[in-house]
Amino acid sequence: MKRAWHIAGKEILQNRRDPLALLFTIVLPVIFTVFLGLLIPSGDEGDTRLPLAVVDEDGTRASQELIDGLADIPLLELKTSSAAAIDSAVQDQKVAAGLIIPDGFGEAAEAGRPVALTFIRVETSSGAQSVWEAVEGALSRSNAATLAAEVAAEQVSAETGRPLDQGLLRSALSIAESHLAAPAIGIEVIDAGDSPVARSGGFQQSSTGALVNWVLFGLLGVCSTVVWERKNGLLSRLSAAGVRSSEILGGKTLAMVALTFAQQLLLVLLGQFAFGVDYFSSPLALLFIMISLSLLATAFGLLIASVLRSEQAVVAATVVTALLLAALGGAWFPLEVTSAGFSKIAHVLPSAWIMDAFHGITLKGWGVADILKPIGIVWIWIVAVASVALWRFRPE
Amino acid sequence: MDAIVVEGLRKQFDPPKGPVAVDDVSFGIREGEIFSLLGPNGAGKTTIISILSCLLRPDAGEARVGGFSVTRESDEVKRLIGVVPQEIALYEELSGRENLLFWGRMYGLNGPALNKRVDEVLDWIGLVDRQTDRLEKYSGGMKRRVNIGAALLHNPRFLYLDEPTVGIDPQSRRSILDGVKNFNAAGVTVLYTTHYMEEAQEISDRIAIMDRGAMIAVGAQDELVRLVGERTRINLALDRNADILAERWRDLAGVSTVSEPEDGRLWVLTDDANSLMPRLFDSAQTAEARITEINLAEPNLEMVFLHLTGRALRD
Repeated sequence: MKRAWHIAGKEILQNRRDPLALLFTIVLPVIFTVFLGLLIPSGDEGDTRLPLAVVDEDGTRASQELIDGLADIPLLELKTSSAAAIDSAVQDQKVAAGLIIPDGFGEAAEAGRPVALTFIRVETSSGAQSVWEAVEGALSRSNAATLAAEVAAEQVSAETGRPLDQGLLRSALSIAESHLAAPAIGIEVIDAGDSPVARSGGFQQSSTGALVNWVLFGLLGVCSTVVWERKNGLLSRLSAAGVRSSEILGGKTLAMVALTFAQQLLLVLLGQFAFGVDYFSSPLALLFIMISLSLLATAFGLLIASVLRSEQAVVAATVVTALLLAALGGAWFPLEVTSAGFSKIAHVLPSAWIMDAFHGITLKGWGVADILKPIGIVWIWIVAVASVALWRFRPE
Repeated sequence: MDAIVVEGLRKQFDPPKGPVAVDDVSFGIREGEIFSLLGPNGAGKTTIISILSCLLRPDAGEARVGGFSVTRESDEVKRLIGVVPQEIALYEELSGRENLLFWGRMYGLNGPALNKRVDEVLDWIGLVDRQTDRLEKYSGGMKRRVNIGAALLHNPRFLYLDEPTVGIDPQSRRSILDGVKNFNAAGVTVLYTTHYMEEAQEISDRIAIMDRGAMIAVGAQDELVRLVGERTRINLALDRNADILAERWRDLAGVSTVSEPEDGRLWVLTDDANSLMPRLFDSAQTAEARITEINLAEPNLEMVFLHLTGRALRD
């Protein structure tokens, strides 16, 4: 195996002197990481509230209480507006919707008379629909409190003979509001926070995706060197010098693993420190995943170069293989946003399991035990593909 | 006893319909000689080199190198041989020295012994001054020399050179031919393939002439030339009526063969050029033609090939 090490050393030296190597190993992956990171929305990105423009033409305590109630809704971001500007703000989509509280709102509310608010929206806007539902919910709660207060005050007045005055109504309203604030039946909302479903967007996705994508495209390098060396008689010469096929493939594998591992390490460090992706929750698990990915790309490269002979066929097969593995494996977009059927089919490919393992350690804090299943499946692929490559490899 | 023995070799690519590259070829190479395989492209020379290098398995027949079978004892054979392929089988991104160091390691050399050997080889191939330059900066001739040097690092007993002078300038060719003679003088047995008759004539102790996978003659140059007798070839160019004159000259006494005219050019084989030439001029005048060019070629391997195949070697 000493010859395999010498072949690996030679390959690394050749790569180091290749002016295009830096472009493909570092520059393009970083550009893709940034580009995709900005393109894919992240689950934990800053302010995702829907802006609602509010015009308070009433200016009473009741209207202010309604505004305060709306402001407490997490979905909404209230923006004060004017009657003249609110229409164009909605049309220009500066806000998701607009709400006008008319003059006399407070008075009508106090007297228990019906009053209508004006809601302005673009009919086709899904954001406006969400805002509408939120406003309607707030008004329902307000109406329910008023109704409960009126019923309670009338009951007290009838039973005690106390006159049904504003004081009694306000007192009943206060009690009803406090009860509604802590209803008997509530809903507890739980974030499935450990699931990558909600969170594998942004740089979490683009950093791991670009890493997997560009390592997989590295198989083009393996293929092209094997084809070039076969065409120029170098593989035959190695064979005539007594070097075995296993030593040739071993040397190329060592070199490819070393080069792609170094590439991964740089991208991981960049992801960790520049994009805030938490790669190092389990360094050992990360190491296993990186080595597995390097071996997987090498095995596919050697298989293609062993089975196919012509340069054109090898280039075509390499590009198609890398594209399929990267795109369908979830390196370009999170599989979580695809249908269950698509995700299931994608998991026939080893790259999908690699992505799962990466997301596991970056999003869920997975350790070595957690990656055993996905990486085990990847290793089955590696052994199978590498075995066929060795079986079919001919230096001549 | 021959150091390399080839008996009844046959190799067909893509059987059963593919071309037969080597068909029932037998020959022997003596220890210490330069043995050349001479023939046009497609004659089967490279296929024989590949079989003797254990890179191809013959369909039939057997070959032994230094007493070892190329099919059953390939490891032993590979230790004895140095192969210079037709292609420049080197790494362009590495320097001449780095290439030699790499190939030395492939032959199992290491440490100071490897460095010393690389120094010696660089000296032999005359590239000491350019050893640290990357190969991509070398001329074609310099690359060819490194290509040969890489096969000499492990002191092989047998050196195979497959068309080592293809596509290089006369100066580099001279250097390579001199080098081959020097390696041979140092005790290396050389198997050399070429389609250049002059090269085979200059360096070979014995020559095997090949055509279309078959070996058509083997021997020392003078033995091969005797196959066509002592005939001289007269090359002529005519301004007109070459077809008519070719017919007439075939009937002239002392003429053994006349070629088919091509663009007014033809050749005539004869045992006595001195007596024939005046009659050629006379008959040309009778046919109202003028001989615009004439030269004589003494018997050589080209004529042997022509005699045995009916075609020129360059065809």
